[in-house]
Amino acid sequence: MSIREFLIDDHRHCDDFYAAAEQAVERGDAAAAAAAFGQFRAALLRHFAAEEQTLFPAFEARTGMTMGPTQMMRIEHEQMRGLVEVAEEALDGGDLEEFLGQAESLLIMMQQHNMKEENVLYPMCDQHLAGEPAVLERLQSELA
Amino acid sequence: MASGMLSFDQVPPLAAPLRFFVTAPLFIALAGLLAVIDGPAILASRWTPAALAATHLLTVGFMLQVMLGALIQVLPVVAGAALARPLWVARVVHPAINLGALALAGGFLWSAPGWLHAAGTLLALALLVFVGAAGSALFRVPSTSPSIRGLKLSLVGLAVVGGSGLFMLLALAGGWSLPLLALADLHAAWGLAGWAGVLLAAVAYVVVPMFQLTPGYAARPAWGFPVFLFAVLLAWSAALAFDADWPARLGRLLLAAGGAAFAVQTLRLQAKRRRARPDTTFRYWQFGLYGALLALAMLAAGALVPALADDPRWTPAFGLVLLLGAFVPLIVGMLAKIVPFLLWLDLQNHGLVGKALPPMNKLLPEAPMQRQFQVFVAAAGLALLAVLLPDWLSRPAGVLLIAAAVWLAVNLLQAAWRHGRQLQQAPA
Repeated sequence: MSIREFLIDDHRHCDDFYAAAEQAVERGDAAAAAAAFGQFRAALLRHFAAEEQTLFPAFEARTGMTMGPTQMMRIEHEQMRGLVEVAEEALDGGDLEEFLGQAESLLIMMQQHNMKEENVLYPMCDQHLAGEPAVLERLQSELA
Repeated sequence: MASGMLSFDQVPPLAAPLRFFVTAPLFIALAGLLAVIDGPAILASRWTPAALAATHLLTVGFMLQVMLGALIQVLPVVAGAALARPLWVARVVHPAINLGALALAGGFLWSAPGWLHAAGTLLALALLVFVGAAGSALFRVPSTSPSIRGLKLSLVGLAVVGGSGLFMLLALAGGWSLPLLALADLHAAWGLAGWAGVLLAAVAYVVVPMFQLTPGYAARPAWGFPVFLFAVLLAWSAALAFDADWPARLGRLLLAAGGAAFAVQTLRLQAKRRRARPDTTFRYWQFGLYGALLALAMLAAGALVPALADDPRWTPAFGLVLLLGAFVPLIVGMLAKIVPFLLWLDLQNHGLVGKALPPMNKLLPEAPMQRQFQVFVAAAGLALLAVLLPDWLSRPAGVLLIAAAVWLAVNLLQAAWRHGRQLQQAPA
């Protein structure tokens, strides 16, 4: 398995929780929505942490590029952390319409972020880190 | 490699793509206006001046315009291939394509060589600059996904449809004797299948699963579909050298089969979508995909039973279904998502966070877009019925089309206005 395949799977895993939260809101089931969105948030933050602490440093050490794509991804992670909080506040406050709007904006941002990672950054990581199988193993244990 | 690696942190400025999206709907309105002015004459044949003008208002003025604007945004995100100077490219390409599309329509309408020459010059400028800028960014990155390969092929398709169109313009304006009918068929096939169809598929491969939360497209057909369309188009073009009818018929049949396979697959994926609400984008896509299946069935039927085209109403009906039933709604559906997202992203990049950052659905609300969609569906349906009852329905269909286009433009402009108002609250 490549880094790209593994992390794409993890993106889809986050999507699953997101979809469950949105559908629970649509059913009007606030408790299920809160539970699913909590799982989504945890999975997303774990994914960000694994990238920022394991994948990006390995890529940067290997290529010497510290201000390139990984830096941009870090900025977008930070923006998405803020968006998760705003959506969660709306959910906690019981404003389900506001939640759906905020959550959709987060979803679209997250998906265009994922596109850049899946089509550009991860293939580069696989290429440059081919001789370092420990990176994938560490990601697998962190996201297990 | 290094430049490709770095380029996806360069988000193109909002002003680069947005201008294309805001002006494009006006060309749908102009096509409607032609129907109102010319009435039943516009549907009499695909070769009437008004029909040629309306076709190119829709394909160049609307479709091509939106697609070029979208590519400025899509290339860095999907392929890591940012244009070197996106704002400069937009400043040249946008006026050239708008004036070029107007001149082209005027040239057809009034059979005026001067207008046709102007159109050729402007559109050649737009395409040279765009294909040059996009090509030099795109062909530098490796094809790591079916989308990237599709984007590359679509750019080649754009060069072919532009080149062949220019060639025919020169022939038309200069009165050269050429097999214009056969050339026009090929030009249309390259434009709609080789450029627009391949681009649509390349973008759908990433956009449909990610934004609608559907399963992904199966990998093998996704890699193969754009290549298949290209192989058919190349073989069909080569066969033009031989004086035979069957290569063009076989070409149509194969394009119809390939396109239908893609549309059916997309409908199947959408049936498994996990988004909670069917939004306007989804509705436009459903409409456009069923419209595409109808158009492709007509294409196949016309290839199998050439006598169908003896009825002068057949080809205008096919063109209407393909443009107003498939390509235009699929593109408007994308606009309904991409415009609010870009406005929202721009606000966020200006430092607006938390409550100060309105979600996308506050910038472009669902309700007016859903109603706009209903008017569009009515316009497209009436336009198709007008083929059967041209004296009664062609003008009302034109009026509805104008209404749908103006409403789309108003919705998009309001979104841009809300963005501007919000921007005033941004930290300096």
